[in-house]
Parts: sequence; structure tokens; C-alpha cells
Amino acid sequence: MKDLKHLIYFENLLQEANNDLVKQAKADGKRAIGYTCYFMPEVLLDLPGCFSVRLRAPRCTSPDIATYYMSSRVCHYARSLMERALEGGFNFLDAQMATETCTATCRFQEHLEQKHLDSVQDMRIIDNDDFFCSFTDVPFKNNQISYEHFAEQLRVHVLGELHNHFGIDVSDDAIRAAVEQQNEVSRLMQEIGSYRKLDNPTITGYEYHVIQLCTLACPKYLILPYLRETAEELKTREPDLKKEFRCKVVLAGSENDDPDFTKLVESCGARVVCDRYCYGSVESRQIIELPEGVDPVFAIAKHYLSTSNCPRFMPQDEMRARKKRIADLAKEYHADGVIIASNKFCEYWSYERVIDTVILNRDFGLPVCSIEKEYINSASGQLRTRFQAFVESVEIKHIQEGK
Amino acid sequence: MAIKFDVSGLKESFSKQVAVMKKEGLKKTAENFWYGRPHTADEGGRRIGELFENKTGLYKHREWRGVKDTMYYFYMIWLYNYIFMVKDVMVMGGLVNFAKGVWRYRWVGQTYLPVLHWFDRGLQGMRGEAMAASAWHYRGMVSTTIRQFQRMFAADTRLHGGKQNDIYKHTFAHNETVWGGMFYPWSDKFQNVPLEMIPYFVTCHVNSHVVLNYIDAVQSIGLPGDPCPMCQAESGIFVLDDVPDYAPLVVTCNEACDASVSTSTLQDWFFDKPLFSLPMPMLFDDPLVKKYCEREIEECWKFIEQQTGVPFNWDQMVKKLEAQNELQRFEWEKWDVICHSDYYPVNGVAQALYRIYQTQYGEWEIWHKCDRKVRKIMEKCVSKKINPFPQTRHRVIAWSCAPLYYSNWCTWAYNCWGLNVVINMDSLMFDMTIRTDSYENMLEDVAQYHMWAPMRRMAVGGMKHMFELWEYMERFNCDMVAMYDQLQCKGVQGVHGLFEDEFRRRDVKAFWIPHALPDCRTVSRAEIRRLINDYMSTVMHEEPLDPSLLDFDDSMTW
Repeated sequence: MKDLKHLIYFENLLQEANNDLVKQAKADGKRAIGYTCYFMPEVLLDLPGCFSVRLRAPRCTSPDIATYYMSSRVCHYARSLMERALEGGFNFLDAQMATETCTATCRFQEHLEQKHLDSVQDMRIIDNDDFFCSFTDVPFKNNQISYEHFAEQLRVHVLGELHNHFGIDVSDDAIRAAVEQQNEVSRLMQEIGSYRKLDNPTITGYEYHVIQLCTLACPKYLILPYLRETAEELKTREPDLKKEFRCKVVLAGSENDDPDFTKLVESCGARVVCDRYCYGSVESRQIIELPEGVDPVFAIAKHYLSTSNCPRFMPQDEMRARKKRIADLAKEYHADGVIIASNKFCEYWSYERVIDTVILNRDFGLPVCSIEKEYINSASGQLRTRFQAFVESVEIKHIQEGK
Repeated sequence: MAIKFDVSGLKESFSKQVAVMKKEGLKKTAENFWYGRPHTADEGGRRIGELFENKTGLYKHREWRGVKDTMYYFYMIWLYNYIFMVKDVMVMGGLVNFAKGVWRYRWVGQTYLPVLHWFDRGLQGMRGEAMAASAWHYRGMVSTTIRQFQRMFAADTRLHGGKQNDIYKHTFAHNETVWGGMFYPWSDKFQNVPLEMIPYFVTCHVNSHVVLNYIDAVQSIGLPGDPCPMCQAESGIFVLDDVPDYAPLVVTCNEACDASVSTSTLQDWFFDKPLFSLPMPMLFDDPLVKKYCEREIEECWKFIEQQTGVPFNWDQMVKKLEAQNELQRFEWEKWDVICHSDYYPVNGVAQALYRIYQTQYGEWEIWHKCDRKVRKIMEKCVSKKINPFPQTRHRVIAWSCAPLYYSNWCTWAYNCWGLNVVINMDSLMFDMTIRTDSYENMLEDVAQYHMWAPMRRMAVGGMKHMFELWEYMERFNCDMVAMYDQLQCKGVQGVHGLFEDEFRRRDVKAFWIPHALPDCRTVSRAEIRRLINDYMSTVMHEEPLDPSLLDFDDSMTW
């Protein structure tokens, strides 16, 4: 296929957290608000006067100082963020909107926080006098009590803090404007992503992954023109005459902000047609509905809890529904199988991966490739062998089924 | 056929004793017989390490503690507990149910018989009041354990031809990390039994090998080895279908960590029963969080009402909470004695295990009985100024989560180095009574208690709580920290470096104890001892009180 016009630009934006668009937004006088987890509604961090940056630590392969502070037995993602922060890579942040949604990233964010305690000395990792860190409690369930609690948490710990520290307008109108902006991003990403459903998709999983990450790591108002142009470009993009893949897969699992991982999967013959992982678009690029007469913060709280497929949700029905959602996605995107990938030391996804591996195959007949990976995948040779074997097994299944 | 006795060993032992008598003289020998050998090497010490058989840790012969203490140990601890272990089984469910349970579930058979060895390990070298008071704590735990597994067996559909009997219909199952007090309002009609407390938690203290099978089982279905091994074991008992089916409903929770949430989901998958997920919010300092927690607790109570058709009984709740508060008030008295004197008679392992068991399981009559016995001994120590741990060189606070397979390390540390673990983090978690003057106050306190759970109150819920260590260190007059380093606990690992920094900055004497909770294969008991030995000799420049305990092989011991 012909290269996308902005692909190299998008790729370059992902080389540093403090990328060109972030710098431009800061120069425009906007506040950069960091976050790590889907449960922190990015839309509230994109209110007029500030912008959200979902933290990444690209190319961090050796988090030595972070390993001293967090030990080698904590997930590489959290340690890489810590290392990048210690290196000064996040000094552009004006605030970190933290969640206690997984232990490792919670600890990372606690390290960022200025606690002003006698019992432990602060490290002042973020060298920015304005910087503060605020924690939000995220419920473990998807029910009315949880929506109300989460909405209250967002009002106090996100909106209240942004307003108090930076005078950000947190009125309903401002929130509606932010939602409208995010919904435009989501509509464009849905449109761009829809080409993955074609029999011969006109966008690769890698390209989509890169674009999706840009929407998370860059100010929305600055990335939007590029998205519009890319969406337009894709309308006429011709696929290769000969398919460059041997099967199509849903990539599901834990944190994944490494497009090279998707590239690795695709280089083995599996086209990634759906991205159901943290930093993926399945949840984050859904349209947020703000019904008339409903408090917008409540609607946002409900949206983020009800769209999440995180294994952090405990109840029985949620656990069972998550499996079905992956199976439904495989059907919707015409995938031949599922790759479930969990980051090493990610406890949620270690378990979820085990259950998915059994259930998706047993109850839904989907071939599953179960992978444990690092944040930055240096062991690509081993993974390549696994993916190649998986692709072959899917092909054999097709032959046996007479397809 | 004639039976031949090999008397060569006896002859050798007798010859040794004669040689020692000749060397020490008759008077000293008589003293050692009457009072027991003194503790330290300087005084011609007792050399406890020479009592063990290599590898198994079994005793070559019983420890001689002097006439009085040996007799006390034999009659009031060894025999008394054996008798009550049989009596409790008969009274609380009967021998038939017990026999069926032993036949069906490997965890009970493998732990019931070594129980007295568990006593021996924890009470090794103890004398007088320390031995007696600590043993009463052990007695409380054994009785409560028997009561729980007997209830499980009496209700278990698997042991009763698939029938859901009346006991089954009057039992609640819940995660061991759900505080038993949640079920107080129904405790006049129902009993609650945690799912994992006996099959996993208690068993790995008594026999460290039992749990390994469960960890291997869950890894055999694809779980990596790095999640918390406690959660792995809790999952493994389900993978191997080694949990009785004893209740019509289940209450689970997310306590204490990410892996606990995942364990609950994996258990649900196997269980497939009416289930309520009771969230335990992490950021418990936030008043808004507490309100949310209160609402979820009320939802849980509604769920129980709906499932059982039995309404919430306020009077029963008050009655049980008042009784629990009495236990808490005695605990505060104990802390007072620890903080302000050297007369506290309970050793580190008994203090830690009894307290976490009692507070987590909830109020029960045996705790009161044991507390009355301990009170009597403690009051005697205080009034007569008896120091039950006279060889104390350092008063130690143990922080973070302890190795379950070697919870008695502190008994060893006192015997070998004079390290007296006077208090530990798990004992300090539930530092509150619960108000019963109104429903609102009760609910608020129940929510607080619920959120101050084991492995949670200090270990997560905000980094600052972890560093409350200094405050407690001062309060309990400690000069040293035993810092547990649970290698697979992401919460504690995530602040490892900050502790190193603070220990240096404050010049606090601290040694790390790496471990993997129940899994003795990751860091062996011998390795833990070696690390402490190294610290005490190279950093503290001290000589051991009993050099025979420095190095021995107990790799196969229960």
C-alpha cells in the first residue's frame, strides 16, 4: 500500500513524551496533565486551558535507577515511567492525575507526589514548581453506587484540583466542549479503524496503533487536523493486490504502547485488526454520550466505568462478559484468532490471560495465542517464533475446515 | 520372634552425659536438670541446634527446660492440646465428618498431625511465662481452626452425597480477606467460614510443604510465577478442586492487591454460585471513599438478606461487636505493657499469628478464654517484674508481611541472637474499637475496619502509611527493624528503595528478610537465617547467644 502521508510525522511524535505538539501546546499557555490509566477520563484533562498526555517511556530499555527504587520485580512499564521521570523526561508536566488502579503505576505516581511528610523525604522528581499530583479512587464495580462515587471523586480530585491550582474552567459548558472535541477524535478514529474490518484492510495494525497512540500522547486540538487528513486519505487508499497477511487477529491484553510490538506480530503474517488492550482504541475511542438533564460529570464517570474491559472489575457477570466482548470483537472484525498479551509482573492480566486462553478457545472456538511480554520487547526472536507458530496453526485450522 | 533393642545409641548418649557431669560437677549438673540449661554460650548454654535431626528438623529428643517447665510443656501444652484437638473434633462436627474430610482433602491430613511440631517450633527455647502465654495463643488458633474445618466438612455436599443439608444452608463462604464481622448480624443463626483461611493460610504455617502443590497447580494452567504466591495458592486450591462445597453463597473482595482481585475472579469461574463482590477501596483516608465503602457494605448485607431471607439482626451485631471490642481493649493493654516495660510474656510469632487470626476471623469465645489466661500471666509478670525474655539484646519491630512458612523465625532470632520481636505490622492494623451507640456510627467504623485490612492498612492505601514505621518504632521502644521483603508483593517492592534511603538517613538498624509468603522454595529458611547472621556479625559485630543455631539444615521440615 502507498505510505500514509503523515505516518513518519506520527512516528516521530511518539519518540518522546515531550513531543513537538506538546511543546507547541505548552507554548500556547496550556497546562500539560499526565495520566497513566484509562480510568482517568482523559476528556476531563482536555478542558480549555489544559491538555492530557498519557504517559509513555519510549525506548526505555534499562530502568536502572527506577529499579533501585521499585526493585526488579515490578512491571517494566511502571519502572520505565519512573526512569523517564527521573531522567527529567516528564518535567513538562504541570500535574499528574493519578489513579490507584494498579499497584505498580500507583507506586510510580506516589513517587512523583510531593507528600511533605516527616516520615519520608520527597524526591522532587518532576522539576516544576507548579507540579502537583492528585489521586482518584476508582471503584471495582459497575453499578449505580460506583458511578456516583466515581463522579464525586472526579469532581473533587480532578476538576476541583485543576480549578484550584490553575484556574481551569470546569463548568458544564467547558466539559461539554471537551467532550465534543474528544468525540470528534473518536469519530475519526472509528472511521480510520473501520478499514480494518475489510476483507483486505487498507490500514495496518501498526499504522493504526501509531495513530491511536498519537491521540493519547498529543494535545487533541493539535492532532485533530492530521487525523482529519488521514481519514480523508484512507477513503481512497488502495490495498495491495496480494494480501500481505495470512490471518487476522484481535490483539488483547495489558498495557501496550509499543507499536513495534504490533509490527512484530504483523511481520509474522498476522494482521492486527482490533486493539483491545490498555492504550487501545476499543474503549477509549467510543463516543461519550451526554444525555440531556444528566450531570455531565456523572455521565462521564458512567461512560468510563461501563466501557472499560479491565480485569480489575471483580463481579462474576463482568468477568464473564469480558470474554464475550473479546469474542464479539473477533466476530465484528472478522478475526481468525486472538493474541492475549500480558506484561510481565502485571497481576491483573496474568490471571486474565490464563482464563481467556482457556475460555475463548473452549467456549467460543477461537484460536488463542497467549503471550507474556516486556514493556519494550527486546526478546523479539522468541516472540516471533511464537507468533509464526500461531499463524501456522490458524492456517492449518482453516485447511482442516476446508476454507 | 525375639525383639532386639539397639542400645548402642543410648550407651553413647549416657557416656556423653557422664562426661559432661564429670566436667561440670554434680551441683551444676543438678542445677541444669532442675532449672534447665542456661541460654547463652558463655554460661555453658543449652545448644538448642544440636537437638534437631539433620534436614527434617525433627527432635532427637524433647527439649529439657528444667523440671517445672518441661512438666508444664508436657502436660499443659503438649498433652492438653492433643486432648483438646481430639475433643474439639468430636464436639464440633464429629469423627465421621473429620475422617471423611481427611480422606477427601489433602490439606487437612497433611497438617493435623504436625500441629504439635508447629507448637514446638514456635515455642522453642521459651521458658516460664513466655512459654505459657505464647502457648495459650496457639491453643486459640488451633481450636478456631478445628471449628472451621469441621463446619466445612459437616456442610460439605461432596462428603454428603451431593446433599445440601441444614448446616450447608446455614453457612456463609467468603474470601479469607473479608473480615468475619461482616456476618455478625446473622451469627445467631449462621456461621461464616472463610474459603482459604484453613486450606491455605493456616496449613502453610503448620506444614510448609502442603501449599506448594497448589502453587504448582495454578502455574500448570499457565499462570506465570511472579504474581503474589499467596494468591497463587488460593487459586490453586480451586484448580485442584480441593475446597469443600459448604455454603450456598459467597462474598469475595479485592483485598489486598491486584492479584487478590484476579484470584477472586478465577475462584468465581470455578465456583459459579450467587456471589457478592465486596469492594475494599484503596484510598481509605479519603472521607468520600469511606462513604462509598459504607454503601457497598450495606449492599452486601442486603444481598445476604435476599439470599437467606433472614433480616439483619441489630441486637446480634451489637452483642458481637461489644465482645470484639473487649478483645481489642485487652490488645491495647498488651501494647501498653510492651511499650512501657520488658514484662510482656508473648513471643513474636504467637503475637503476630494470634492477632491477625483473631482480628480477621472475628469474635469467638475461644479468644476470650485464651485472653483471660494470658492476662493472668501478663499481670503476674508486671506485678512481680518478671522479664520473660531476659536475653533480649534488641527490641525489634517487624514490618510488612511475614514469611508464612517461617513465621517462627523470630523464635529462632531470639534464641540465637537475642533479637526480641516485640511487635509487628500485622498486629497494629486493626487499631480501633467499633461504636455501637447508633447504626450510623457502627457502619462508619465497620467500613474503616474493613478497609484497614491485613496487608492493606500500612502496605497499600497510600505510601505514607508504610512509613508509619518510625512512629511505631518509637512508640514500642524498638531499636531495630526486621523489614520483610515479600519478593512478589508489588506494593512493597515499589517502595523498596525509599526504605533503603530512609534507613540510611535516619541511621536505623534494619535487616531485610526476603521471602515469598507461603513458598519456601523461593527463599529458604536457611537463607533467611544466613542473612540475619550476616547482618548481626558483620554490621552489628555481635556474637550469637547460642552458636549451635547459626547454621543447620531444616529444608525438609514441616
